Amino acid sequence: MSTETIFQAIQNSSVAVSLGQAPLIFGILAQLFHIAGLVLVLTSILLVNLRLLGVGLIHFTAPQLANYTKPFVLTGLVFLVLSGVFMLAPSAALYEPNPAFWFKMKLFVVALVIQYSLYRKVATAENPRRWLAIFTAIISLLLWFGVGLAGRAIGFIAA
Amino acid sequence: MSASDLLQTMYDSPLGTSLAESLYVYPLVEGTHLLSLALSFGLIVLTDLRLTGFIFKTLPVHILLHQLRPWLIGGFTITFATGILLTFAAGPGLVEAPIFPLKLLFIFLAGLNALWFELKFGRNAGEWGAEAVLPAGAQVAGWISLVSWSLVVILGRLIPYLDSGF
Repeated sequence: MSTETIFQAIQNSSVAVSLGQAPLIFGILAQLFHIAGLVLVLTSILLVNLRLLGVGLIHFTAPQLANYTKPFVLTGLVFLVLSGVFMLAPSAALYEPNPAFWFKMKLFVVALVIQYSLYRKVATAENPRRWLAIFTAIISLLLWFGVGLAGRAIGFIAA
Repeated sequence: MSASDLLQTMYDSPLGTSLAESLYVYPLVEGTHLLSLALSFGLIVLTDLRLTGFIFKTLPVHILLHQLRPWLIGGFTITFATGILLTFAAGPGLVEAPIFPLKLLFIFLAGLNALWFELKFGRNAGEWGAEAVLPAGAQVAGWISLVSWSLVVILGRLIPYLDSGF
């Protein structure tokens, strides 16, 4: 089964069809929740990554900030995925041929893997090696802001 | 000169035309406007949540303000600069519905509130910032900022839906 067939099937599913028929206000709410999720995730990881670089809110240690922002990151991810599915499903077949969509999804998966492996390990370590902290911060910032930028590109490539 | 004329003049300027017609620059400016919210909006919300007593209760306010200030100012500079560029590329359709003027009004309100907070509380935050219960005025400023900036972001996202000409 090709991805094209799968995405067409998603779009034709009864759930996707009823989501597509929802009043415009739900579409707008989905967009707003996507932005809220983006701010929750990006601001949280920004705060921790700046700390790993030795700047920003240095009153706290990186593990303190990582621990503190954990629920915000999780809430943000839930917002992003739910609103993302809401926006994608009714027009899945339109997203499937869009290279920016696939690039975003690949970056998103890599960002998630790094978030829950390298980033978690380094950000929660009391005294990580300086070069490792800097390396992790740069990779994490590039990945998450890259996901956002690639996401914004979806609309421009489709238009 | 009406707002509509001004937007037309901006759109017809070399900057406005080249932005509106560019294949890559316009999307990049728009993407930067959105992603810089993580610095500007995200960090101001963080500050507001501290002032209103929701988070970082043990963190003295003056330390928060001092350590985040360069990032906040940097973030707002990027958001504002890209916002002005987007306005150049928008054209007079931007003011056909009241969404964009309303957004500007809330930016103005949030700005006034920030100025008032800075003059009345910001400068001597070292004296009150570590207290368990913050002065009522500082809490109110936090709430006004939280609500105004949230409305600015929401109204901004509504522009393409409710303004004609896009």
